[in-house]
Amino acid sequence: MATDSKPTSLNEASDRDPMNNNSYGTLSDGDYKQVNLPILDVTKFHEEIVRSYNDGTAEKGLPADLSVARSVVPAGTANLRDFSYIAPEIPEFISGNCTGCMECVTLCPDTAILGKVVGEETWATQIDKIDEKSRDMFRDQWCEPRKYYDGPKKKLGEGGKFTIIIDPTKCKGCAECVTVCGDDALKMITKNDKIIDDVRTSHRLFKEFGPSDERYVSDKLLIDMMLKEENHLYVGGAGSCAGCGEGSALRMLCSATGSKHGDQWGILAATGCNTVYTSTYPYNPYLIPWSNSLFENVATFGMGARMRWDQKGWEDKPLWCIGGDGAMFDIGFQALSRLLASGLNLKVFVLDTQVYSNTGGQASTATFLAQNAKMSLHGKKVHGKQERRKEIAQIAMMHPRTYVSQTTCAHTNHFYRSIIDALEFDGPAVVVCYTTCQPEHGVADDMATDQARLAVDSRAFPLLTYDPRKGATIRERLSLQGNPAVNDDWWTNPKTGEQVDFIDFARSEGRFGKHFDGDGNASELLLDSQQDRLDNWHVLQELAGVLGKKSAGGAAKAKAPAAKPAAPKPGLPAGFSVCNKIKYNDGVKWTNGTVTSAKPVVLTLDDSTEMEISPEVLSEAVAVGIVTTA
Amino acid sequence: MSAAEPLAVFDYQPGKLSELYEFLKRTRDELRSIRKIRISTTFLRVIDVNADFFEIRGFGYQDADAEAVLQNLNVAFKPDSLATPLNGPYKEFGAGKRYPWGYERVM
Repeated sequence: MATDSKPTSLNEASDRDPMNNNSYGTLSDGDYKQVNLPILDVTKFHEEIVRSYNDGTAEKGLPADLSVARSVVPAGTANLRDFSYIAPEIPEFISGNCTGCMECVTLCPDTAILGKVVGEETWATQIDKIDEKSRDMFRDQWCEPRKYYDGPKKKLGEGGKFTIIIDPTKCKGCAECVTVCGDDALKMITKNDKIIDDVRTSHRLFKEFGPSDERYVSDKLLIDMMLKEENHLYVGGAGSCAGCGEGSALRMLCSATGSKHGDQWGILAATGCNTVYTSTYPYNPYLIPWSNSLFENVATFGMGARMRWDQKGWEDKPLWCIGGDGAMFDIGFQALSRLLASGLNLKVFVLDTQVYSNTGGQASTATFLAQNAKMSLHGKKVHGKQERRKEIAQIAMMHPRTYVSQTTCAHTNHFYRSIIDALEFDGPAVVVCYTTCQPEHGVADDMATDQARLAVDSRAFPLLTYDPRKGATIRERLSLQGNPAVNDDWWTNPKTGEQVDFIDFARSEGRFGKHFDGDGNASELLLDSQQDRLDNWHVLQELAGVLGKKSAGGAAKAKAPAAKPAAPKPGLPAGFSVCNKIKYNDGVKWTNGTVTSAKPVVLTLDDSTEMEISPEVLSEAVAVGIVTTA
Repeated sequence: MSAAEPLAVFDYQPGKLSELYEFLKRTRDELRSIRKIRISTTFLRVIDVNADFFEIRGFGYQDADAEAVLQNLNVAFKPDSLATPLNGPYKEFGAGKRYPWGYERVM
């Protein structure tokens, strides 16, 4: 693009981006990520190609040269994609209510909510340097949660000051952060000039404040990993829908892998929704090597890439093959099976939305029985999908020596532990992640976490890990830890006293809406689908060696009428507190552990397993004797 | 945020369902995206993503019109257990269901 005078760098402030919020670096300012490739001039790419797309002149202004034809994109260019003019609403942080749980930071699909913790002395010095005009406004956004302030003050003599800041250029206004906040520390507000000016100013000051102080970031608390710049390898700016569940999954995958391998690893992505929104030319949200395969052959592509990397002596650099259920359950299924049989050290991440999200929501073999999806529409004669859902995790388990996990972003510790365990496993690993596709599932933009949790609670999508290193028998290798009421058919919500089943899950999503009559009664086919989910749960229970071991609590609940539910138990149960030693029984053996966090409740076992569970589930586990104080 | 006081209140008179709906329609734009409802024997609260809410007093889950009102509010609830008495302070239901793309498409 020809210009008369040299414009400022895209990584600097401009009229459209007056505070330079739309810039490289997530927690602190950064530069273009350079690469030593003869076919790619990173600076020129930004200043000519990204600039022309940003200002809308690409179609007529860019020459059809070799650089455009190759479609090679530098890492992290989506840093420069500005969504601040799209969403009418933006979250506001209410610092006094924040407990520093990091749920909002972790589950934002767009890297738009950022956290930072610094020592209070450094903080005071930095605050004093800020222009008087903005100082009070910025100071008020810092807080002293017990997690970062009280405990460390006793231990280190200096407490940590913590803040949450919104990046206005990346936020799409989905409100997922507000929904996942259990402390009323975020709320949605309507943008106006004053608000946007304050948000831009706060974000700029935040980026200039320096990195988090690592003394306050516990490696034992996996949810804290996004306090480190080096773990933000998915920078936002992707074209995914507001609230996209897949976006959060990819961010968390990148953080967990980055926490172990920095940026020395790669992604191979099967064509699908995830490739469309993460490679809409010229915007790339990844800071690691990434390549796009055909829809059906990412596993094959991965095998070739793995062998080539190994030839180059890069055996220690992980490769993730990513695809949706269409790519992995359906069209690329044979290639996936071949990969798993190969024994190669390749990792597979399945974004399981139960439909072909990219092309309009066609049914896949992951689609639930009775679900209303394109190609299996609910009509007068055929009432949605007529086949059972395929269970790719069970199939993967039966391949030679393969690590398998089924997880969701809502279960953050389970998710992170699955990714880290998969990476540490010296062979093929498959992590199947349930994610919402809001427009295809028929749920609100802020529901990704809620629906993922309900999918697990209702047995629609049970959590599991299958680790061949754990023992000689299937029951030793397979763990259903993290599911509520593991020994029972269904979980009973202690808040309501009501059983939570697949019909409840279906009732909460538009994709099953046609299976309910005017009085709210479920159709025969949906009841069959519920039975299918229960049958699947029984298979897992049987494999894990817990089928038939009804919990005492479960039996009691079966007898108890719904009118007399257990009283809600907020916080830790009596006798439990942080640092308490506990014992946990997974149905096979007892394992010692410690309560490492009260909010969220996290139990860390001596075998390094971390379990994040709700206080209600812990109370229930205590009641039935699965968890006791040591 | 988490307002202790409702943004708007309506005192329900049995049989005056149309007035209840009129209240909800009239005040709807004061709430943001509806997230859940809470219903007891004496009130119905319509709660948005910010935890701001409207309160309809004198209306409860045992009310003959409760099912119809919840359906109109797009709430996911079990009709057959709606009227079952609860020991807790209220029942809570999600309201995050939306129409998926192509919901009414005929092939």
